[in-house]
Amino acid sequence: MSTLTTTPKGAARPKRGAPHHTRRVEPVYYLFLLPSLVLFTLAIPVPAIIGIFFSFTNSIGIGDWELVGLVNYVAAFSDPAIWQSYLFTFGFSLVTVLVVNVAAFLLAVGLTSRIRLKVSLRAVFVIPMVVSGIIIAYVFNFLFSNSLPAAGTSLGIPFLSTSLLANPDLAWVAIVAVTAWQAVPGALLIYIAGLLAIPGDVYEAAEIDGASRAQRLTRITLPLMAGYVVINVILGFKNFLNAYDIIVGLTNGGPGTSTRSVAMTIITGFNSGDYAYQMANATIFFVVAVLIAFLQLSVTRGRNTL
Amino acid sequence: MRARATAGALGVALLAGLLTACGAGDGEAETVRFTFSKREAIPYMTKVVDDYNASQDDVRVELDTSGVDVVSASFVRGNPPDLMLANYNNEVARFVDRCTLSDLGDTRAASAIRTDLQPLMDQYGRCEGRTSALPYSVMAASVIYNKTIFAEHDLEVPRTWSELIKVADTLADEGVTPFYGTFKDDWTVAQGWFDYAVGGQVDTIDFFDRLAAEGSDVGPRSAASFEKDYTRPLEQMTQLAGYVNDDAPSRAYGDGNLAFAQGEAAMYLQGPWAFSEIAKTAPDLDLGTFPLPMTDDPADLKVRVNVDLAAIIPEGSQHQEAARDFLEHLYRPEVIEPYNESQLGYTPTTDAPPPSDPRLAGMTDYYDTGKVYQGASVLVPKTIPLTSYAQGIAFGEDVGTTMRTLDEDWARLAMRQ
Repeated sequence: MSTLTTTPKGAARPKRGAPHHTRRVEPVYYLFLLPSLVLFTLAIPVPAIIGIFFSFTNSIGIGDWELVGLVNYVAAFSDPAIWQSYLFTFGFSLVTVLVVNVAAFLLAVGLTSRIRLKVSLRAVFVIPMVVSGIIIAYVFNFLFSNSLPAAGTSLGIPFLSTSLLANPDLAWVAIVAVTAWQAVPGALLIYIAGLLAIPGDVYEAAEIDGASRAQRLTRITLPLMAGYVVINVILGFKNFLNAYDIIVGLTNGGPGTSTRSVAMTIITGFNSGDYAYQMANATIFFVVAVLIAFLQLSVTRGRNTL
Repeated sequence: MRARATAGALGVALLAGLLTACGAGDGEAETVRFTFSKREAIPYMTKVVDDYNASQDDVRVELDTSGVDVVSASFVRGNPPDLMLANYNNEVARFVDRCTLSDLGDTRAASAIRTDLQPLMDQYGRCEGRTSALPYSVMAASVIYNKTIFAEHDLEVPRTWSELIKVADTLADEGVTPFYGTFKDDWTVAQGWFDYAVGGQVDTIDFFDRLAAEGSDVGPRSAASFEKDYTRPLEQMTQLAGYVNDDAPSRAYGDGNLAFAQGEAAMYLQGPWAFSEIAKTAPDLDLGTFPLPMTDDPADLKVRVNVDLAAIIPEGSQHQEAARDFLEHLYRPEVIEPYNESQLGYTPTTDAPPPSDPRLAGMTDYYDTGKVYQGASVLVPKTIPLTSYAQGIAFGEDVGTTMRTLDEDWARLAMRQ
């Protein structure tokens, strides 16, 4: 990733290992790898494989179980609640990625131009990143349920006078807004880093050629930033697919089931003795996530190095 | 290979250490780990345990107040507590269904329990030939009403559906909010609105028996289905939901307790647990309770109950006899009756007096004569998001559509279990 973020256009990649040794690697290096390899294996692949195994059983988490084959998968594919949670999660992720990146990009352009209080403003915009998601969600929950309706009532705006969270058709807008509020700083930092890496002489040359401000933004800044956009989109999308804490704090999946994400569906299964079934759902989600990762990589390959 | 041998040796060493640790105390007393996590009652139980430990030398009880999740995990690890007093619900019933709890049928405590409560216990799950759990505290819930507001408007407690509507209309006409709704918290919709509406006219024991018999055939053509049996009561529920405060969709349980304590509405669909919360704001508020009338026959009136605490002894416990000794102690009238009196619960033993709190008086006759039901919302396995569906209905979702979804969920669950 460091090569992605620091290689400006046209710069030749450093030729790695110029004097190419074919000497055997010192075995002690493998020893250094061992602790993290063991911990990683125990913490991630082993539980994942055990979990995938249990998705083919009728286990409820305790007691006896037996292998039931693909029953859980068949049931999951015909479960509208699961379909709805995928639909919601993907729709939410797409919209949020869009909102976060547009907002963060514009903010970054603003915060790298010649303005007053640049440094303190940057600090202010980064604050949401350091607050825990569940706290943000509870604070916004209060704002949406009490402050905003109160303001709407006194200003005579009927749209605002009822809680956004209580509207089954619009509750997702509130979730997008709060998630974006928390996610913008991360993307913002990457965009600022990218903008600062664009050499000033490109702009100078453009200015001499008579390019306007808008032209400089669309013809120079945007193309040079493409790599950063790709990174932010991939990282953001991956994070939003796992949406959990902010939704729990804001709507807890409601009103009704209109804002239940995939992660929430999986966890409710664990808490309510539907372990094997939601394990199957988790396995499906894992496969879907892997497919998306490959898709993103193949779409962006060759483009992210500019 | 060698690694495994080492690990094995280490395990044996640890186990030996544990055994000696246990054995050390064995000369005097056998230790019983007793799990109890109802926060409000921990001081009371601590005292019970201390008194019991001081009264004899054979058994030493250790109170463990870690919550339900920890207990579930301990079952998975094969190291369950020796005795539990826990909320009786579908999660605990899993242990019953899989026969992981020991038979309490031969205890003195078991013979003192009211027999008409057994069907309620069996509703959650059964292990053939065993009494897996004994009820310890039964909570009754119904409509809480503000007696002062009722008196001011010359209203009597309604005993039929039409009387209820008349009361609500009168209050609304005179500018009083009839019901306080807290629809933002989905469980309040399920516990109060949904369960009272259904329990007031559907025989839930019979309904769930018929539903279980249909299994994965539950649907538009089955003899029993949520769509067939619940649509009418839930249509009535939506009619009542028209009488709530305007901001009900954005009010939560805490907001509701505060508002009700301040006299902002006449009726509140909550359980006795709300009394202590309301009393924080208005300690002297004159409150009463009555079952929600859903039909025009007062004989149909019933109150919603739940087994707030049940006693169980896991089969995996190594201290069966000692745990039974303490269990008998817990069921002595001088322990169980003051407990329920202090927690506003009903004691499930045959000769126990009802709690004396006047706020519960409106429900006591119904409890004494067994006119009770368990909430439909807690009988449906939690993996079906019934509370969310109930909330959806309160928010205006179509009852018929929601019930068809519920039927499909039920059939799918039956298919894979």
